[in-house]
Amino acid sequence: MFNTIEEYLNALKIELKDADPALVQDAISDAREHLTTALDAAREKNPELGTADALQLIVAEYGTPEETASAYKEVERRTSPVLKQEVKPRSAVGGFFGVYTDPRAWGALLYMFIAFITGVFYFTWAVTGLSISISFLIFIFGFPLALLFLLSVRGLALLEGRLVEALLGVRMPRRPLFSHQGMKWFDRLKTLLTDKATWLMLVYMVVQFVLGTVYFVLIVTVLSVSISLIAVPVLQEFFNQSGIMLSENVHYSPMLPTWSYPLWVLGGILLWTIFMNIVRGVGQLHGRLAKWMLVTE
Amino acid sequence: MTDISAQTKKFQKELNSGTSSLVLLSVLNQNKEPMYGYQIAKMLEDSAPDIPMMKQGTLYPVLRSLEENELLESTVEPSVSGPPRRYYKITQSGRDALKEWIEIWKQTKKFVDANLKG
Repeated sequence: MFNTIEEYLNALKIELKDADPALVQDAISDAREHLTTALDAAREKNPELGTADALQLIVAEYGTPEETASAYKEVERRTSPVLKQEVKPRSAVGGFFGVYTDPRAWGALLYMFIAFITGVFYFTWAVTGLSISISFLIFIFGFPLALLFLLSVRGLALLEGRLVEALLGVRMPRRPLFSHQGMKWFDRLKTLLTDKATWLMLVYMVVQFVLGTVYFVLIVTVLSVSISLIAVPVLQEFFNQSGIMLSENVHYSPMLPTWSYPLWVLGGILLWTIFMNIVRGVGQLHGRLAKWMLVTE
Repeated sequence: MTDISAQTKKFQKELNSGTSSLVLLSVLNQNKEPMYGYQIAKMLEDSAPDIPMMKQGTLYPVLRSLEENELLESTVEPSVSGPPRRYYKITQSGRDALKEWIEIWKQTKKFVDANLKG
């Protein structure tokens, strides 16, 4: 039987070893919440009862790790991420243009756009928090400040995970990772500081700034080039403006021949379609990066 | 030879997978205040102490999937001792679903009972 809650959680982890890491994190967090509360209640009722004996009764009601694991796997099988549905393989041309009907591509496009905003915020938060925390560590109140900052990093990581799952369709944790409760706050700070996960999350927040900026520049550049190519006939026929402007001087901006209009329009559409395909791929890659950096095993 | 008890266990599990959603929605509908997992488990236990229907651990993934489908919503609040607790509350679409589910349950009950009597 189990002598401590941690033993139960470890057994549950072993039962879930083949499952998605995000699911494991959720299951562990639920079990920890329940077992801790139940144990507290049992102790209140009967202070003499040993932890192991109390846990035995609680686990009998809660379910063995095996039963709990199978319940989570069962529900997970029925609830998969919103955008997970795979598009059926089609011909090469159909697959290429099929990107417009693929929700993952649109999700990725939206995500890459949002990443610019969140990236700036994460970066500011990380840099400000780090520098304030470190410099205040010479005072006693610097320690709780550092703890608060590190906890906020964990919270933001969970939030980012929800965003990644909703828009990129990659399964991410749905429950916060709360561990080491019942510790003094100073020990808690120490555990957070020595936890690799915290630092990976911080690095992610900085990396997101760089990636978000690159994504944003790419989207804006390709979108405006595509639109201006598609708009060449309209510009020339209705506004008497050259489709390409090599300089401010009108003489260097030749009018494009009428027969070439379809080519420019086609080029614009092709460019954007290629970009959407790339966006879908980048979205999947970013999802993997987020999973690797934000989900603890 | 077939393992009867394993079959029984499987039957119970399959039945529970539907009824537990119904029971959880109903419990949360009756309670005006948001509730956390242990509270719900205790309440279910107290309402029928002699009928061990389902393991408490199986309630949590069901709560989660109900939330995923927007029938419930939840908030995390810190607790005095131990880890923060997730409080669940029923949503409007949860209430609408519950009304329909109760009807289905009544019909199912009637249908099964009628056939069991032979």
